[in-house]
Order: sequence, then structure tokens, then C-alpha cells
Amino acid sequence: MTTAPPPAEAGAAHALRRDWLAVLARADLDALESGLHQAAPNLRYDFLRRPERGMVMLRGRVGGSGDAFNLGEATVTRCTVRLGDGQVGTGHVLGRDRRKAELVAVLDALMQEPVYRVQLEADLIGPLREHQRAARERDAVAAGTSRVEFFTMVRGT
Amino acid sequence: MMSATHANQAPQDTHDTQASHDAPELRHLALGFADPVADAQAAFRCALQALAHPGEMLVCPVPPQRVPGLMPATAALLLALTDHETPVWWSAPEALRWLQFHTGAPAAAQPGEATFAVLALGQPAPPLPVFPAGSDASPERSATLLIELPSLLDGSPVVWSGPGLREPRTLRLAGLPDDFWTRWRDNQARFPSGVDVLFVCGNQLVGLPRTTAVSAERTV
Repeated sequence: MTTAPPPAEAGAAHALRRDWLAVLARADLDALESGLHQAAPNLRYDFLRRPERGMVMLRGRVGGSGDAFNLGEATVTRCTVRLGDGQVGTGHVLGRDRRKAELVAVLDALMQEPVYRVQLEADLIGPLREHQRAARERDAVAAGTSRVEFFTMVRGT
Repeated sequence: MMSATHANQAPQDTHDTQASHDAPELRHLALGFADPVADAQAAFRCALQALAHPGEMLVCPVPPQRVPGLMPATAALLLALTDHETPVWWSAPEALRWLQFHTGAPAAAQPGEATFAVLALGQPAPPLPVFPAGSDASPERSATLLIELPSLLDGSPVVWSGPGLREPRTLRLAGLPDDFWTRWRDNQARFPSGVDVLFVCGNQLVGLPRTTAVSAERTV
């Protein structure tokens, strides 16, 4: 890991990492606790940055394509850890849960280790991703029933 | 869509959000304080004590790992005193990334833009007047210099006197440039403007505020 991979490969690795970090950040604390306990009980790590709370500005675009505007600030907790072999993991989670930010960081570090990645993907990340996708779909269906389509009748001939 | 803006005690820092790019650096980065809040407060207290009692030798609480290119007390003072609003000027930038990760302090391009300056041991240092001294209206807009020395005990003797010193005190700081005390006289004469200095050796420090007058030792 001391030499940087070529750009395309780095971009793909980046996208993968972004995906598992997003899944972990949306998971609940218990799932992360048991996931880590199963994968690597008694894991030792140092804090490069202890969990700390701050704020980020949430930005949005009107209709998804207008000018960016500031929606408001959200509380975020972040943490960076380093495993015994030097692998660094980082976690950013919405809210004030320090332990959750720590667990995301530790799991992020483990996911970058080939020996842990496959098992973690199968036991933790995969099921969580599926669970989150199903929940989103349920919400979309529930919201869809109240959808109103606006249209104008054709007048005249 | 989210983008990070200023955060509370977590300064804006684009580096760790791109950890995959600088992971090789983070793998070897020295740790910060073991207990960030309590240790930073203790180090801050130590700096206050040093500047309130010029010439008193103090032992500073230090971070658990050595930071390459810095003495332990220098590292502790930087962790305690700097944040994203305090540009730091480095005589040698070896520890720049370390500080940027832990406190987000930007590097000052010129000595004249610095809030703090690190004059590491064995590095050529610019003369005192290049650092900001503040003005009579805003004397707080001055730099604090962290000067690393090979020894605080076996240099040639000079006598310190002024506020915070009940009696004049003889100090023997080693390794300062020959014209340092001449420059210091000018600095002291600019009061209320002027820079303040914290001399560091290992985990010890000695404060030299702008109010302290330094003269050659008088033989009695």
C-alpha cells in the first residue's frame, strides 16, 4: 500500500469504499456491534482521532438540478482509528453517537484488509445493504400511493 | 448532497475525508494526546505558567508518541494552541501533515503571516523582526515563537528581569544565534507590541514574554 495504484483502479476502490461507508453509516448500532464482535473480537486499535462531534452544511438543489442552496446544518460525529498493522479507517455518521462513529471507522479499516473483507461483506455489509434497500423501497411505495400527477386537459379540438 | 463546512472543535480538514489518497501517510502518523481535552488543557496551563513566570523551567505533558522532527514539548504546545485560524510557520515542515491532521492548522507561507512559528532544533531561523509583532492598537496580533534548543542549562549566562520576576534571574540557554539578545532588546522596547517566545528542550519549556528585559550578566 505504499505505492499509489493507477488512477482508474484507485477510482474503483474509492467507489467501493464509499459504498460500504454509506451502508455502515446508515446501519444501527447493534448491527455494527455484533458485526464487529463476530468478525474480530478483541481487536486492538489506536485512535488517530477520537470520536468528536461537529457540524456539516447540508446542501441541495431545487428539483435536483437547480442552483445549490444551503438546506441547513446537521450534527455529525467522526472518528479515525489505526489497526496494529497500520491500516487506517475512518467513520462519519449523522448524529451524536460516538460509539457508532468508532465502530464504522474500525469496520472501514477491516474492510480494507483482504483477509476480512470477503467475510464482512457476506456477513454484515451485504445483508445491511439489502435491508436498507428494501426499507427504501417500502417507503417509496408507501409515499407513491399519495402521489398526485398534475396535468392539463386538452381543450377544444 | 453534503459538503463539510466549519465544524465545532473539528476544524475544516479535507485530508482525512480523502483517506484513501493519503492512507500511506496516515499509517505512520504519530498519535495526538492520549486524552485530548485534559492533556491539551494541561499543556495550555503550562504555556500560561511559563509566560507568567519568565525563566521558570516547566515540564509539559506530552503526547504518547514522538513526532518526527519535533521535540515532545513542541508537539504538545502545537496540539494545545493551534487550530484552523492559527497559521503556523515552520523552519522545517517535517511535522506539517501531523499537525494538519490533528488540529487543522494551516502552514504560513511567510513568517509575517504566522500566529505561531516552530524553529526546530538545528534549523536556520530568521531573525525576530520578520515575525508579526502586532500593533499598539492590537498587540495580540503578534506571533508566539516555539524555539527548540539543545539545552536550557549550559549556554552563556544572561540576566532576565521584569514583570513576573521578583528577583533578576540568571539563565543559560544554549544554541541561540549570536545576535539573539540584541534583537530581543529591540523586541522588548516595542512593548506593547512584540513577539513572545517559548523555549523548548525535550519535554521542558521556559517562557520569555515581550515584557522581560535581558541583559549581560553583571559580575558582582
